Amino acid sequence: MALLEIRGLTVEYSSGGYAARPIEDFDLDLESGQLVLLLGASGCGKTTLLSVLAGILTPAAGTARFDGIDIIGLRGAALTAYRRRTVGIVFQAFNLVPSLSARENVEVPLRAAGTGRAEARRRADELLERVDLGHRIKHRPADMSGGQQQRVAIARALAHDPPLVLADEPTAHLDYIQVEGVITLLREIARPGRVVVIATHDERLIPLADRVVELTPHAASPSRGPERRELQAGEVLFRQGDEGDLVYVVEAGRIEIVMERVGGDEELVNVLEPGGYFGELAPMFRLRRSATARAQGPATVVAYGLTQFRELQTSDSTPGPNSSLLT
Amino acid sequence: MWLLGLRDLQWRRRRFLIAVLATSIVFALTLLLAGASSGLKNEGRRIVGSFGADAWLVAKGTSGPFTASTVLPEDTAREVAALPGVRRADPVVLLRSSVDDGSLRDVNVIGYRQGGIGTPTVVDGRLPRRDGEVVADTRLGVDPGEKVRVNGLQMQVVGTAEGITYAFGTPTIVMPLRDAQELVYAGQPLASAIVTRGVPDSVPADLKVLRDDEVRKDLERPAKSGNETIDFLNVLLWLVAAGIIGSLVYVSALERVRDFAVLKATGVASRTLLGVLMIQSVFLSVAAALVAAVFAQLLKPSFPFEVSIEASAYVSLVVIALLVGFVASLVGLRRAVGVDPALAFGGA
Repeated sequence: MALLEIRGLTVEYSSGGYAARPIEDFDLDLESGQLVLLLGASGCGKTTLLSVLAGILTPAAGTARFDGIDIIGLRGAALTAYRRRTVGIVFQAFNLVPSLSARENVEVPLRAAGTGRAEARRRADELLERVDLGHRIKHRPADMSGGQQQRVAIARALAHDPPLVLADEPTAHLDYIQVEGVITLLREIARPGRVVVIATHDERLIPLADRVVELTPHAASPSRGPERRELQAGEVLFRQGDEGDLVYVVEAGRIEIVMERVGGDEELVNVLEPGGYFGELAPMFRLRRSATARAQGPATVVAYGLTQFRELQTSDSTPGPNSSLLT
Repeated sequence: MWLLGLRDLQWRRRRFLIAVLATSIVFALTLLLAGASSGLKNEGRRIVGSFGADAWLVAKGTSGPFTASTVLPEDTAREVAALPGVRRADPVVLLRSSVDDGSLRDVNVIGYRQGGIGTPTVVDGRLPRRDGEVVADTRLGVDPGEKVRVNGLQMQVVGTAEGITYAFGTPTIVMPLRDAQELVYAGQPLASAIVTRGVPDSVPADLKVLRDDEVRKDLERPAKSGNETIDFLNVLLWLVAAGIIGSLVYVSALERVRDFAVLKATGVASRTLLGVLMIQSVFLSVAAALVAAVFAQLLKPSFPFEVSIEASAYVSLVVIALLVGFVASLVGLRRAVGVDPALAFGGA
């Protein structure tokens, strides 16, 4: 059985009143000892997934189990215990408490869990030695480089020797020299009995991962040729949240663009007439569709790959100004 | 987890120091105001007690000897002395006047029968032996041998006395009865009141008997609204102190939102964070109270009237400081409780 099991995970939140689902119907199994990369661009749901695994965010649907613990169902003291002892988190911006020394930052989760002062100090010193910062234990974050701060953050995450370590963009604020030390350290902490999940868009980490999970939608070949599609009245061309790799031009009929609001209501955003185009953002930025496209009546659309569409824009038959930038 | 609070205080020490100083000034004002109120009450107690009288007889309808201007014939003392229960009776004159020593200063004037009730206790010099000699309040700032012009009359200071200041710190000049009668009654044999040793069993219908506490209350009556104002001001000042500390704690909580989010995300309980904020707030408030005690002592001598800060006022201030700190922490507590640990994720 996998140490970490995720089934049908869907996270929904309100973005300006509209429903956004960075993660929808997501499945994942991770084994003990694995170092896993969650790879993807900003906004693809990496941090959202980490928040769910950290017990900080409650999803709209789905389950997440770690070593038999139902993370989603945790509440109160059980949730606090999970955050203290089961999961260790390395944050993107280090997030060390600026008024505390390196040693005190590592001691915080230990003292919070009731560890005595002497034992907490001993453990903090041991961890800081392990991350090669034994000579900086009394220094405050402001007196340390980015790489050193991140190593303190890793030491803090390991305070309770947690079986699940989550790292959110651990190399984001580091120069190329500092990155090397952090990458090496992250590789070392993945061991049997522990899963290390790293959310990143830094492809330099790919070689050290046991597994890479891409959260960014796959783009189809940008040179994909035009495809004509006939739509019945009310037929949905694509839905909000779908992966998208084609740009559409309306040839006949009318296409309505609607966005789903929090609570399930729809809001009509635009209606496109012949000559208008829509859906270019998803393939361009490898995002999911941010709205639903639906035929108002019988309609015909022509679908283009991104390259084809760009060629079309620069040719004499450029589509008219009636376009929707939302999709 | 007190370490979190202590380290934050060290980290932001300059800001907290300013807040402590500002709050300590406010607390010092409350101590000084309380001391002023006590001082006024002490004045009344001391001057009335200095006579050593068992009873005060005034004209019927008079509220008290120090506040009314009604007079009695000096001879009334002889009649009173003959009343059952009275061992001795002496007339006294109590009035307000002024001294001109280059600048005009208000003074109280007490006229007493030499050797009788109301004879002052001198701390320097001697008692008057003849007309034109006076005992001056040490607060007047004149020494034996100097001259003072009281209501236009030149007087010789032969002695000084303490504890005879009253009426909002107005110094007093004590003189023989004749001189006082000359000063205000054009020499007529009149008196403000008759003071006795022993309490008369009954008095003539045109007289009223007052005991020391009644005379003192009457003397304090003009200051009553002043004392109520002082109490009201004190409450406002405590609110100001709570506002200073509360605003600082709130701003500090706003700046530490991400810290709180990280701490919560790593398993620190919300109640621990609440405790940290509360301890910080109470610490600041109590520290301000202690500094205020020093400020008050330094500022006390600058007041023109007596400021008597009693030990109970210091104890009360510490208790109030604890309460102020607790109340002030509530504004920050709400902020800390509401922090979403998800904020810990995300860029700087």
